[in-house]
Amino acid sequence: MIDAKYADVPSGWSWAPRGRVGCQPDVHPPVASASVIRLERVTKLYKTSTRPALDRVSVAVDKGEFVFLIGPSGSGKSTFLRLLLREDVPTRGNIFVSDLNVAKLPRRRVPRLRQRIGCVFQDFRLLPNKTVGGNVAFALEVIGKQSATIKKVVPEVLDLVGLQGKAERMPHELSGGEQQRVAIARAFVNRPLVLLADEPTGNLDPDTSQDIMLLLERINRTGTTVVMATHDHSIVDSMRRRVVELDLGQVVRDESRGVYGVGR
Amino acid sequence: MRSDFVVREVVTGLRRNVTMTVAMVLTTAISLGLVGTGLLAVRTIDRTEQLYSDRVEVQVALTSDVSANDKDCSQPVCAGLKSTLENSPLVESVRFENQEQAYERYKELFAGQSLADLVRPQSLPATLRVRLSDQQAGADAVRQAMAGQVGVRNVIDQRDVVAKLFDFLGGVRNVTFALAMVQAVAALLLISNTVQVSAFTRRTEVGVMRLVGATRWYTQLPFLIEAVVTGVVGALIAVGGLLVGKFLFIDELLSGIVSNGVVPPIEVADIIWVSPILVMIGAGIAAVTGYVTLRLYVRL
Ligand SMILES: Nc1ncnc2c1ncn2[C@@H]1O[C@H](COP(=O)(O)OP(=O)(O)O)[C@@H](O)[C@H]1O
Ligand SMILES: [Mg+2]
Repeated sequence: MIDAKYADVPSGWSWAPRGRVGCQPDVHPPVASASVIRLERVTKLYKTSTRPALDRVSVAVDKGEFVFLIGPSGSGKSTFLRLLLREDVPTRGNIFVSDLNVAKLPRRRVPRLRQRIGCVFQDFRLLPNKTVGGNVAFALEVIGKQSATIKKVVPEVLDLVGLQGKAERMPHELSGGEQQRVAIARAFVNRPLVLLADEPTGNLDPDTSQDIMLLLERINRTGTTVVMATHDHSIVDSMRRRVVELDLGQVVRDESRGVYGVGR
Repeated sequence: MRSDFVVREVVTGLRRNVTMTVAMVLTTAISLGLVGTGLLAVRTIDRTEQLYSDRVEVQVALTSDVSANDKDCSQPVCAGLKSTLENSPLVESVRFENQEQAYERYKELFAGQSLADLVRPQSLPATLRVRLSDQQAGADAVRQAMAGQVGVRNVIDQRDVVAKLFDFLGGVRNVTFALAMVQAVAALLLISNTVQVSAFTRRTEVGVMRLVGATRWYTQLPFLIEAVVTGVVGALIAVGGLLVGKFLFIDELLSGIVSNGVVPPIEVADIIWVSPILVMIGAGIAAVTGYVTLRLYVRL
């Protein structure tokens, strides 16, 4: 099940992992300043709906944690992630990502927030007219990184996600799992503090999903905090990581070594 | 800012939308060409005014018997009129032109044209040519003082003639500016539309850019530069059009009055003078339109 090839960070990897490696706290501490992500009684009301998409949600995620965000469709998982990215602002409550007060962040500083967060989605969102390498490089080009840095770093991250030798392929020449690896490489190439994944395995078959989970685990071991929204039972059950469950916009469960459904 | 990235994005953007880009460039070019024509008309009006301010005279034409018998304004009727004029504080100088001199000038003016053969010296009046020191009050004063006097046939104010010319040039200017405005609105809408289409076709790229934390500059600059490039190219085409227009039409059209010194010719230097103005207008309008469009219609 565990693919030995991906079991460890390659030695050539040039970014030293931050913080503790391969060591997850069994019990997450109460809200503390060490939190990378902190939501304080966050409520989100969309104009067009009567029921809040998020209802007084308070969650704190520590540096280096791996958190599953679960719940049925419409329970507010995507809204949760969108608020962290400042794609939208909460109606009430505070959100912090590292030292940034997300909801109050002035527009011109939103890019700074997003440079600290990597994200991947169910639909990959690759640029169809750019190669694999080009897609990953694009993420660095548009934030003004030097081309020397880009030339060095892109092959490294492609190695990390297991796409060595495929830098010149076009996205349509890849399988779904490989495309998601490209998306993960793009999200991770700038070494974000946090990786957000919104149903990253939603379009993939179980075996490929498992591979993607191993990759996310590997990225988590470099010290990157990972928050993943999913409703895939088997993945959550097999990983035994922290689980935050939403239902109708409310946190109904927060367990440090959870499975998908209690008693299921 | 990585300029190679921006250049690449701009080139892709312009190529992706060739038909739209061409339409945008041509509309901008026509609009700016009209603006340029208007500016040239304004410049010609200014030049002509300068040309005339020290040349315009009031002519007191003498009756035919005075004209025929007095070659040098030495006889009482003419001399009297002349001294009356010279004594007025509104008058700077008075010059007498007899029939022979009038005929010479006439022949010169209409050289090579059939009109020149129709006229004989006797049919032209001798004139007292009055330079005014007071351009405003002078002409009326001269007219009042001379009209009905013995020996005076009529009084011609050259400024009446010049005024007609100015009316004409002013009309050209107004019409070209009005057309330019209409065209400018069309250009504006096209630029705005192109920016929107451009942003739409590139929404995936822009989405990724926002997601990975590209600043506004990175997401918007390619669109703005795209618009500005078409504005500048439009302006350059307009300048080319003005040059072609000068050699093909305007020179021909104005040849008569230019060679008579009625209006100054339009020089290549004049077109060179308007070209930076056109480029600036083109780039400025495109940039502002692009920016406003991005702000209003495109979520970046
Ligand atoms: N842009 C939006 N406008 C209005 N309502 C929305 C919008 N996005 C989500 N919602 C509503 O908010 C609730 C939570 O949605 P979402 O966060 O997408 O849930 P999930 O990702 O868990 O399926 C749903 O009831 C959904 O209809
Ligand atoms: Mg969702």
